[in-house]
Amino acid sequence: MSQIELPESLTYESWSESLKNGTLLGQECADCGHQTAAPKAACVRCGSRDIATIELETTGEVYSETTIAVSPLGFDAGFKLAVVQLGEAKTVGRVSDDVEIGDTVTLSDVFEHEGQPSPVFESVE
Amino acid sequence: MARASIVGAGMTKFGVHEATLPELFAEAALPAMDDAGVESDDIDAFYLGNAMGGQTENDTHLAPTLASHIGIAGVPCQRFEDACATSSNAFKHAVQDVESGLHDVVIVGGVERCTPETGLGTGEMTRIFASASHRQYEQPTGLTFPGVFALLTKRHMFEYGTTPEQLASVAVKNHAHGAHNPRAHFGRDIDVSDVLDSPIIADPFHLMDCCPFSDGASAVIVVSDDIADEFDAPVDVTGVGHGTDIIPLSDKPDFPSTMSARRAAEQAYEQADITAADVDFAEVHDCFTGAEVMASEALGLFEDGEGGPAAAEGRTYIDGDMPINPSGGLKAKGHPIGATGTAQLVELVEQLRGDAGDRQIADVETGIAHNLGGDAGTTLVSVLEVRA
Ligand SMILES: [Zn+2]
Repeated sequence: MSQIELPESLTYESWSESLKNGTLLGQECADCGHQTAAPKAACVRCGSRDIATIELETTGEVYSETTIAVSPLGFDAGFKLAVVQLGEAKTVGRVSDDVEIGDTVTLSDVFEHEGQPSPVFESVE
Repeated sequence: MARASIVGAGMTKFGVHEATLPELFAEAALPAMDDAGVESDDIDAFYLGNAMGGQTENDTHLAPTLASHIGIAGVPCQRFEDACATSSNAFKHAVQDVESGLHDVVIVGGVERCTPETGLGTGEMTRIFASASHRQYEQPTGLTFPGVFALLTKRHMFEYGTTPEQLASVAVKNHAHGAHNPRAHFGRDIDVSDVLDSPIIADPFHLMDCCPFSDGASAVIVVSDDIADEFDAPVDVTGVGHGTDIIPLSDKPDFPSTMSARRAAEQAYEQADITAADVDFAEVHDCFTGAEVMASEALGLFEDGEGGPAAAEGRTYIDGDMPINPSGGLKAKGHPIGATGTAQLVELVEQLRGDAGDRQIADVETGIAHNLGGDAGTTLVSVLEVRA
């Protein structure tokens, strides 16, 4: 993991800027330990506001996946999405190759749509 | 004991409609009023479900507009928006308000147009439907609503061994039911290979695993328990549960359990003082075949993991031991988003009155509706019973 300064309070702006630079930030709850890859103002499990910004693991396991053949306006069709378990957190991202549930994947790139980034994962042996 | 009663029901055919939203809504609301035998002066309030009129037709502040169109201008009006669970949420508030004594007679319904009659194509409508996913953490990936349910269903398949053939059997059954429903969008029989040979939308879903884009409207007349006996054939509302779950999707701890539905069912059954074993039939939110399988388990109608095999064994047909979606469901009947929840209630009313014609289920006294919104982030479960 890179050595970067973590913001105390994680906004969407700092989350997206970090992701564009290859770092996936999240939050960890001091009270219940829940980790999330989608930053919030309070813990989604217990409501605690004692949540710290953390750098998420970048390698994890595919929890679910699909290929989107019919896409929303503005997106090319035929891309793969996966929900990836990264430590205690899960995130949705694109995957660059064929994966199945249980496969190990790692953060490999960033996909940007209208300035908004999403993580891209690739499978590892 | 009843929290409220439904004394009138109406809906349009679901499919493609040229009519404007007010015109379309009137085609459901006026028949519901006539069915109940209520005049416009009798209506105390109006609760409306419309999810996307602002995005699809540049049409907002709809409740007073529609009230004016159907001759009840001046009553308290409220539009509800909860993605596909929109009109069930409107119904919940109608039930609460007649129960509390605030109102005696409330009309609640929904209307939506989703077909190209709106002027929008598949890509644009797909984008609008996807607005019910998280704006920052999901929409930028290109996630679609078939994609959301594909991610939920793939995990269900992984954990329980649910197969594509079992999913397809849900579509086959709902089309068979829809063939007996004159208001259904599709009335054509299909078989498992028709589903599996249709184009992929988001795997594991083929086109025929997905409900259509439909236009339509539905409405029911809700009255307080005190005055229900003044009407013909009242159907009692004994429970309305409302559960939610974490958004975005990826933060949900357990995909196949669809926790919002379990929470809603628990509340609804407790209010009605029933268990899943007392349920005679269900209308469930089968926006995709996998959604019906997960709903049938979340409602306790089958054990976890048994929803797929139960569908494949034919247990959910009208003449099976647990009939699901006698109307044809969203899959065959259609899914005009804001009209869907109250349309499920229309089917329950007709079944419980014994008025469902060729799709009538024998000897039913207790029916439930399961209406899901967004990425399983919202679910309402309603229990309706023959009035004792
Ligand atoms: Zn917590």
